[in-house]
Amino acid sequence: MADKIEGVKKLFTSKSARVETNRGDAYYAKLFEKCQARIDELKTQQPINNRLDIGDVLETQGIERRDFLKWASAVTGMLMLPASFTPLVADAALLMNRAPVIWLELSDCAGNSEALLRSDGPKIDEIVLDIISLEFHETLQAASGHQAEKQLEDAMETFKDKYLLFVEGAIPMGNNGTFGTIGASGETMHDHLVRVAKHAAAVVAVGSCATFGGVPAAAPNPTGAVGVMDVIKGKPLINIPACPANPANMVGVIIHYILTGQVPELDSLLRPKFAFGYRIHDNCERRAHFDAGEFVEEWGDEGAKNNFCLYKVGCKGPMTFNNCSIVRYNEGVNWPVGVGRGCIGCSEPDFWDKYAYERPMADANIKAPTGGVEKTVDEFGLGLLTAAGIGIGIHAAASLVAGKKEEAGE
Amino acid sequence: MKPGYKQVKRMTAFMRLNHWVVAFSMIGAVLTGLYIGHPYYQSMIAEPAVVKYVMAWNRWIHFMIAIIFDVSSIVIAYLYFFSRFEKPYKKILPTGQNIKEFFEVLLNLITLNRRKNFDSTHSDSFNTVFFLMFHLLLAWLLLTGLQLYVHGLASGESSIGAWWPWMLHLATDWTVPVSTWMVGTTSPTPSIMDVRTVHHMTMWIVLAWVAFHIYYQVWRTIFWKEGDIGIVVSGTKFVKEEA
Repeated sequence: MADKIEGVKKLFTSKSARVETNRGDAYYAKLFEKCQARIDELKTQQPINNRLDIGDVLETQGIERRDFLKWASAVTGMLMLPASFTPLVADAALLMNRAPVIWLELSDCAGNSEALLRSDGPKIDEIVLDIISLEFHETLQAASGHQAEKQLEDAMETFKDKYLLFVEGAIPMGNNGTFGTIGASGETMHDHLVRVAKHAAAVVAVGSCATFGGVPAAAPNPTGAVGVMDVIKGKPLINIPACPANPANMVGVIIHYILTGQVPELDSLLRPKFAFGYRIHDNCERRAHFDAGEFVEEWGDEGAKNNFCLYKVGCKGPMTFNNCSIVRYNEGVNWPVGVGRGCIGCSEPDFWDKYAYERPMADANIKAPTGGVEKTVDEFGLGLLTAAGIGIGIHAAASLVAGKKEEAGE
Repeated sequence: MKPGYKQVKRMTAFMRLNHWVVAFSMIGAVLTGLYIGHPYYQSMIAEPAVVKYVMAWNRWIHFMIAIIFDVSSIVIAYLYFFSRFEKPYKKILPTGQNIKEFFEVLLNLITLNRRKNFDSTHSDSFNTVFFLMFHLLLAWLLLTGLQLYVHGLASGESSIGAWWPWMLHLATDWTVPVSTWMVGTTSPTPSIMDVRTVHHMTMWIVLAWVAFHIYYQVWRTIFWKEGDIGIVVSGTKFVKEEA
């Protein structure tokens, strides 16, 4: 375990933005053996608490094995592994119930849980997340009050240093954290998180609030909300931003963990590179219209009918790192740009104040964080230029008058 | 030549060439940059998307100009210290003489040439500090611009090798927290959007700089009667021979 944690820490400190998509046959052959050994070891273990068998669940939901294997090969591709890993990924999905998970819900709207629960019919991503051994989830469990606290303590004790901690929601830090308390003892969200994170194997921050503060941290951020990575230090931490986080990416992270025992390779914002290594813009289906200069000018115009680029109505795809344009949502059904409205950059830091408006950045009325006057960059710039022009005009006129006086004096 | 005047050299051929390359590049960068920030015209509406590339051409021109600026800036930075003509850094150092000259030239401007107690045969401290401001603004535009540019090289590869995006990250990633500090935030994590905002804002400051620069050169020409405006064309101006 100790060397695994070391490995995780090492991965953690690599800051390069490079996404390595091909590491050569020798690397993958070695990785395959390693993953195979780990899967074999997990197979000998008993499922923890969740006795659901994924085969049965898939069958009751009417999903054929062929579809399941198609899904497995898609996940393999998403994790940037060669196709030969597909059987291992399928095995890992079957073994999801060997991974104990504690899910904390802090300052948020429960949107990430909702995204998993409220799809019109559960897709394989959501079913696989049903299979994980979810030991504690305040929103979903029947227990409440002291009973719930007891359950959390039991789970933390039983799976000490082994459980994955999923966190949804920001942490209010203002007023000593009393803007958000939880449980029968009125523990602040900050203390709650620190206590549960202490013995987690790794922490996964799910959604924009847990990663960067999200909507609770939007101006003027009255509760002093911050993300998990600003509170928890010295633990392997994975950020899966977006509002809500894509279930496909959550599954990708857990499967990666089950396969290799490690967190996936992360970028400087601790996001897994397999999902956040590229901008939405780079793989957007409307990219050709961007390059051609064909833009939707207003909602419902001819351009909109022709699926033109949404940049001028505020699409932030060119600034947003996420894989929505590849994996989409609800198992590839659709995604924001696909339904004809732009990306709002929901997986970027400070997205609510700086991305979520239906204009290009150059026209944005970004509210000053101090809560003062609204002003745009262009207006301020034009004002400055005008001031410079007026100054020049005054000086020129004064020079002219002074010159004439001089002449008259001579 | 007017009797009683002598001709003095003020700009080398390279400096003049660089001035005009920068001037026209700046016009091009502003026109294309404004289009990238907010596409303000439509062109070739009837053509299918496969042939027109209006945005792509705007971006191509903008980035090409940026590269020209980059290389020009490196050369100018070198000349600040190693020019065989005039080494500008000597006029920037806060020595007593430079500070005195700086304020003398400033007083000359605000007293509308009533007072002129400095030698106008060479580039004075005021002018050199003013140009330094431009060079710093341009460097900031280039660094923030390259930070925005490297997002498009997300794979870590480029047509000239992996070293280029790697170097861009190394050289410009620090502009993200600095930009966020400039714009202000209530979120604990710096956002790349702020780099865009600051890049855009800096353009307006540069435009204000350009406005003053053109005005001041014309003003000098008129008030000093030494033909300063001709420096950037012929490289020389005229000063009264000391009697």
